[in-house]
Amino acid sequence: MSDALIEGYARALFEVARAEATLDEVEDELFRFARSYESSDALRNALTDEHVPAEKRQAIVEDLLGGKATATTTQLVSMVVGSGRSRDLPAIVDSLVQRASSAKQLDVAEVRTAVPLTEDQRVRLRAALENSTGKSLNLKVIVDPAVLGGVVAAIGDTVIDDTVRTRIDQLQSRL
Amino acid sequence: MSLLATASLVLTRAFPASEEVPFDDAGYHTEHWLFAPTWETIIASAASIIVFTAIYKFAGPTIKKAMSDRTAGIQAELDDSAAAKSDAEAEAVRIRQAKGDIDSERSRLYAEADAQATALLADGRERLDAEMAELEVRADAEIASAADRSADELRAEIARYSSDAVELIAQDALDDATQQELIESFISRVGASS
Repeated sequence: MSDALIEGYARALFEVARAEATLDEVEDELFRFARSYESSDALRNALTDEHVPAEKRQAIVEDLLGGKATATTTQLVSMVVGSGRSRDLPAIVDSLVQRASSAKQLDVAEVRTAVPLTEDQRVRLRAALENSTGKSLNLKVIVDPAVLGGVVAAIGDTVIDDTVRTRIDQLQSRL
Repeated sequence: MSLLATASLVLTRAFPASEEVPFDDAGYHTEHWLFAPTWETIIASAASIIVFTAIYKFAGPTIKKAMSDRTAGIQAELDDSAAAKSDAEAEAVRIRQAKGDIDSERSRLYAEADAQATALLADGRERLDAEMAELEVRADAEIASAADRSADELRAEIARYSSDAVELIAQDALDDATQQELIESFISRVGASS
């Protein structure tokens, strides 16, 4: 899909979420769903299989998100999947997050941890990152068991990595 | 009929009485116990002279020519024999010389072959030595390379197993408290840096 088309979808999702006054929540849910989509081969295969009818793929989305996400999020994802743009869902969501952050004059900070952060930790982590980078940040936390432990934060081109996975990789390189 | 017979017949016809010796009561008898009657001797001698003269006159040149031709033939044969002998002697000399040449050529060839064989042997030994040395160097290098490879592979294996072991140990060690400690440590460190 072209960048213009991705931007078009992202703008449409953004406008819907903003009109519904659930932008923050929808943005966060879409972000987490996009990361789950990226990390799960089964989900990706199910949603991109062209032999599976669009209605069935939409039903999968509704089963996954129903009751766990807002209705707006579920409908937006279902719309993207129903239009056959499942492969571009992460890019569309990233563009949406970027657009939302820009609207709030924030930079996106993508944080990965092995275990979920508490709300207090989220607040303190955002504050610490803002203090470190000098930017106002829209914190997006992804729970990724692959990091094993610790935290890695990516703000634009800046990456602050203090994960167990990276240390093990460094140790392996030294060995 | 020969000339002698012809002459005898003519004389007999001319002097038929000569055969008729006077007959007496004792029968016919010769006048001499050894010699013929004179007239017979004269006639015979004349006839002989005539015959021999004729022979000399008519057959002499032919006989002489034949004898001369025979002599010339014999001489030619003698000359041919001499020439053949000379040729044979020359051929014998040439053969002896050729034999000598062959012997010397054989000796030269033997010497040359010996020299070539010696040179070839020396060259072969030298090449063999060089190849052996090269093979030894290559073998040493391959052994060293294999040893390095093995060491590298061993190190890689150790690293892989160590990494796996470290990962397993880390996973076991990373309980909730440790996870929280790591997160707090990250927040503190990032917050401290500006």
